[in-house]
Formats: sequence, structure tokens, C-alpha cells
Amino acid sequence: MKKVGSEQDSLFSASAILFRPLTSAIRKGNGRNFIIAGLAIISFITAMSILAPFISPHNPTALDIGPPNSPPSRQFPLGTDLYGRDVLSRIIWGGRFILLVAVTAVLVCMAIGIPIGLLAPYAGGYVDRVVSLVMDSIYAFPSLVLAIMIVSIFGPSVINDALAIAVVYVPTYFRVIRSQVLTIKELPYVEAARSIGANRLSILFRYIWPNVLASVVVVATINFADSILTTAGLDFIGLGLPVTLPDWGIDLTYGRQGLASGFWWDIFFSGTMIVLSALGFSLVSEGLAERTNPKLR
Amino acid sequence: MGLRAYIVTRVLLTVPMVFLLLTIVFFVMRILPGNPVLLKFEKNADPALVAQYTHMLGLDKPIWQQYIDYIWNLLHGNLGLSMAGSFEPVGPEIMSRFPATLELAIYSTIVAIVVGVLLGSFAARKRGSIADGAIKVYGIFIYSFPVFFLGMIFQIIFGVWLRILPVGGRTDIGMIPAGLTIGNMHIQTGLYTIDSLLAGNIPEFFTALKYLFLPSISLGLVISGVFVRMTRTNMMETIRSDFVTAARARGLRESTVVYSYALRNALLPIITIMGLQFALLLSGAILTETEFNILGLGTYLVDRINFRDYTAIQGTVVFLAILISLVSLIVDVLYAYLDPRVRY
Repeated sequence: MKKVGSEQDSLFSASAILFRPLTSAIRKGNGRNFIIAGLAIISFITAMSILAPFISPHNPTALDIGPPNSPPSRQFPLGTDLYGRDVLSRIIWGGRFILLVAVTAVLVCMAIGIPIGLLAPYAGGYVDRVVSLVMDSIYAFPSLVLAIMIVSIFGPSVINDALAIAVVYVPTYFRVIRSQVLTIKELPYVEAARSIGANRLSILFRYIWPNVLASVVVVATINFADSILTTAGLDFIGLGLPVTLPDWGIDLTYGRQGLASGFWWDIFFSGTMIVLSALGFSLVSEGLAERTNPKLR
Repeated sequence: MGLRAYIVTRVLLTVPMVFLLLTIVFFVMRILPGNPVLLKFEKNADPALVAQYTHMLGLDKPIWQQYIDYIWNLLHGNLGLSMAGSFEPVGPEIMSRFPATLELAIYSTIVAIVVGVLLGSFAARKRGSIADGAIKVYGIFIYSFPVFFLGMIFQIIFGVWLRILPVGGRTDIGMIPAGLTIGNMHIQTGLYTIDSLLAGNIPEFFTALKYLFLPSISLGLVISGVFVRMTRTNMMETIRSDFVTAARARGLRESTVVYSYALRNALLPIITIMGLQFALLLSGAILTETEFNILGLGTYLVDRINFRDYTAIQGTVVFLAILISLVSLIVDVLYAYLDPRVRY
């Protein structure tokens, strides 16, 4: 902190008083840096994926663009892979499908998880207990094992990957939403609404839902990160996206073949992109969580 | 409710979970196209041969009949015969694969706890500092790593460039730690680091440890993110509690207050996290085993799925479900034992 009393300082404090409403609004947002950093990463990757046809120097699937396994050079800034494809172009194109899987998975999860999570505790009794049992069973089981089984049965594709992720992730939405609904529906303001004769649905959607929304957003962002990691994991097992697509997960898997010869660029860039995109969503999730939960600060 | 009653209730509660998962897996696998017979034969194979093979596997019976037969055998502790390869019994096969997974899980957990507790408690002590921020970022960053990518980075650095650590397998070729024989009783756990110690073979122990090093560091670090975060949160709450203030007021050194007063209490919930993270650990173990060529349960499952080996997949699912329930039960009981305030 600067010394008190200098001229610059008094100017500084004067401006601080003038702009206090503004600065306090920014300061009040805990986890702000995380959210900004995360959004920056996400925007960068999204822009890159959308603009791929315009910014990619080569065709990502064309073989023998250069000599196979050549290290990063001026001509190929990130090197070439086992089949002589340009790694940079594959990196630029490689986010499209893995992100598409993540977006689809999150949408499917929300479409299933939110209504069940809201309605089950309201239905109460047997319905709630049976649904909870099913959800808890799935939740407790290693998610990758289930995802592997689902994809192996339906075959690898964007939709099937997304469905597999949805099946293993819906329980997370369910548990978070259900526990919140159970707490919130006993709060005095909900009781007040009930006493003035509001019907059940309007209580659920107009009184309870707005307070559940914040945690749904936190879950959804971490769901994005986990979807990206799960898709990469499925790719790695050989059950993810079709191998003909330019995709970070597939490049990472096949890049392993050059590992023993020390061809680090085959895995390093694709792996880094996966980490980066998962990181972007994790950062946003953490930032949002810190905003709502003071214990984490 | 006494502890014994609690344990009995918990065990009974795991039955529906195992049953539910098994039922879903059983029917979904059979209803959807593709089965071990079709995968075994070419498209235009002799129908008589195909029918004979189907009959041999019992897949010509109605599905509900197959289901009842399977459950009946399961209740007798029989997981059936594999439907592909050499038709070996599934139970013993799973048990022979399990130690590799268990060993990886144990060492990874140790890595995760050591890293998590050290960083987490340090961050809580220096709350709000740059170090605290950096540790928080580490937690988020490491969580975003696919475990096999971290493994590849370690493999290329330590195995290919520096050539100081092996990049795959469990121990040197042809070396299987013998375990301990007392009279006609033979103890062999299948955990190579333990078997070699039991046999008193120190070089073998270090060899096994050397092979375990990279896989368990990779998996341990990836999971450590969650531990860092939980330790930090718990520590911050504990540091604020009255008994810590009292210890400080008595003039004890800050490090004594933090590490021997606060940390002890903040560590209790770590046991709970270990239980919750067990499923995550198993998911990571599948990928780690594949990356490091370890013949464990994960590689077994992935291998069998390619053959649509119904019985092997069902067996693994049942085994994993029981294992997870068991771990969560042990965690609960251990917690009650360590924290006298918790009573069942």
C-alpha cells in the first residue's frame, strides 16, 4: 500500500470516493479474476473453432503435407504428425467436435436433470425415494466405466458420446437441485407464498427456481469441463469420436505412437488444448462458486 | 442404533444398488444389437455353427431365463464363464486382475493425500496471499488434466529423455514377487510391493516401486486437486474455531497451533473425501492402466467390452459396485471411530 498523504494519493482517494459505487460493484464480485480468465480462454477456443476454415494454413486431414514426424519448424510451426499432417491445422480444427459433444451433453443433462431434480422432492414419497435410489446408484459408480459401456454398445459418434456423458452426469444435477429444493421449500418466504394461496407449480418456478439457478450454473460449467475430459478419455480408450475426425483427443491418443521416439509435438499441443478448454470452464465454475459460497474465498 | 445395526443396514442398502446396476447392464447389453457370437463369426458363417455356439453360451434361451439363471448363480457366488477367448471363469480372472488396480489406487491415494494436505493447509495458513492464490489455481489446473496426458508427459521426460524410470508394466519381465510361505500356508497378495517385502526381497521391492512411480504420481496428482481444495476449506474453518484461539492465547507457537492442533481436526473430513473420491479414482485408474500398460481391472474391462463379453462385463460391474459400497462403509465406520461425536 502506498504512503498516506502524498498528493497523488489524495487524488487517488478522491477518485476512489467518486467511483466507489462502480469499484465496489466490481470488488464485490468475488472470484472475478477466475471468471474473466475462464471466459477469455473459452472465447479464444470458441473463436478458433468457428473460424477454423479461414485461419487454418492447411487441410487438417490431408496426408503428407510435409515429411512425417517433423519437429516444429518455420514451415510447420507445430510440426507434422505420423501421417505427415500439419499439427497446427489439426489443432485449429480439433476443438470443433469435442466442444460440440460438450455442448450437446450439457443441454441433454439440463433437459433431464433440472425437471427431475425440481419435481422429485415435490412429488415426495415413493417417487422421490425410487428416483433418488437410481440416481445415487449411478452417481456412486465410476462414471467412466458407465460411459465406456454405453458408447461401446451404441457405437462412437458425437450424439452417443454426449448421451453417455449425460447418463453419468444427470445424477449430479439431480442431487444438487434436489437438496436445494428440499431446503428452500421450507423457508419462510415460500411458506408465505403458500399461505397466500399460490399453487404448487408457481411456487416451484417463480419462488424456488430462481434460487436454485445459481447452483445449476455452477454445475453446468463444471459439467462442460468434465464432458471435455470424458470425451478425451473415451477417445483414448478407442471408443470416443470416429477416428477420421480431426480431434484433440484422437490426436493425443494416436500421438502416443511417436512417444518412444521422443516426438513430443504429436501429443503436447493436442493435450494442451484439452487441458486449456477444460481449464477455461473449471475457472468459470470456481469463480461462480466463490461468488455464491463465502467459505471458498 | 448401535454400530453393528448400522453396518447391517448399510450392507443391506447396497443390495438394491448392485442389483439395479446389474439389471440395467444386463438388459441393455442384450437388447441392443451386437453380441459375442456375431463378433466371433464372419458375416456369412455357417448358420448351424452359429446356432451351436449361441446354444453353448446359453444365449438362445429367453432373456428373462438368462437373467434368472445369472442371478441364481450370482447368489451362489458364481460369476459364470467368460463368453470370449478361452471361456475362463470370470470370478478368478477378476481376482487376479484386481491387485494391480488396488496397488495403483493405494499409491495414488497416498500421493494425493500428501500433496493435498501439504498444499491445502499451507494455503489456509497464508489465506489471501499470493501463495494461497497460486495453490488455488494449481487445484483447478491439475483437475483439468486428462490423467493419461500427464502420464505421457512424465513418460517422455523420465522414460524417453532421461531414461531413469520404466514407462509401462508392473515389474521386470519374469519377476513375480513370491510372497511369504509359513509351513504350508502361503501368503501372496498380488500387490507386488507387499509380496516382495513379505519375501524379504528388497531389490524386488524397489523394482516394483520404480514401475509404480510414474502411474501413481500421474493419477495421484490429478486427484490431489480435490484434496487441496477440501483441506484448505476445512482448515480455514478449523483455524477460526475456539480451541485454536485458546491454543494461540496460551502462547503456543503458530506452527504448533496450525499443524498439531488445527490440522488434526481438519484432517477428519479427508477420510470422507477419500470415500467420495473412490469412484473418481477408479475412473482414473482405467485410463492410467491403459496408458502404462498395467494388467488391472480397468484394462480387463476395456479389453472385454471389445468382445461384448457379457459375463465378464457383468462380473466386473458387480465387483466394482460391491467394492465401492464396501469402501464407503469402511470410511463411515472409520470416521465414527476417529470422531467420538459421531455415533450411529
